[in-house]
Amino acid sequence: MTPASLDETLVAAAQAGSTEAFSRLVERHQQALRAFLRRACGDWAQADDLAQETFLAAWSRIGRLKAGASVRAWLCGIGYNKHLTSIRSAGRERARASAYEADRDPTLDASAEDKLALERAMAGLPAEQRACVALCLAADFSHAEAAEALDMPLGTVKSHVTRGRARLLQALGVYDDAS
Amino acid sequence: MTQADDRLKALFAQGEPPAHDPVFTTTVMERVMRRRFQEEVALLCVVSLGGGGAFWLVWPTLQPALVAISQGLAPALGAIVLAICALMILGGRPASALGLES
Repeated sequence: MTPASLDETLVAAAQAGSTEAFSRLVERHQQALRAFLRRACGDWAQADDLAQETFLAAWSRIGRLKAGASVRAWLCGIGYNKHLTSIRSAGRERARASAYEADRDPTLDASAEDKLALERAMAGLPAEQRACVALCLAADFSHAEAAEALDMPLGTVKSHVTRGRARLLQALGVYDDAS
Repeated sequence: MTQADDRLKALFAQGEPPAHDPVFTTTVMERVMRRRFQEEVALLCVVSLGGGGAFWLVWPTLQPALVAISQGLAPALGAIVLAICALMILGGRPASALGLES
């Protein structure tokens, strides 16, 4: 059974009310969703909270998921909307960000410095651009999949990814061998 | 894919959540089950209140009718209740329980 057909089977069972099938969907997709939310919001604890909220919302809305639709993209779409809702409270967001920075270990090796530079550059991107980068550059989503998940036009996703990628590479001091 | 993309991907891959995280899955499912329970309790409350309210509304009409038919129905109801009790006690197989079946 392919992963997509297994997902379809599990979704059909969950739509019929099986919590066991939904639990398997959570297990299968928690990594992708949490990784996306960690990259999109930069705060791991908040990302995990959002991921839990996303799965709760998914359980309530599982009946609306169309047959054959990508579960991963659907979950990332719900998670992205939850993330957008959470960043509307800008004051709380700033407080979290500063606490996160304060908790960091100041002694970092070269790789950790690169990772920190990447996270800082990601934090500097607008939320939409950041979400596109997190899906397309880090999670191997196609532009079309990301456009569907984030409910954005395909051209917008492409331009967000191109601009975001350029800014990240610039922040890392990496020469772009594609250009 | 270019070397720059490979480097970005490698950096993004650091700090990836584990592929299997039973603690996270259990926490989510606990919350799902709690929500499901709350929804069921809320539904039962609504149904009970609605049923109680409807019964309260029709009771003045229902009471005289019940009183009128109860005397005629009482013997038949008694016999039905006794038959159901006997079936439950005999495990649903009265013939074999009474030795009428080999």
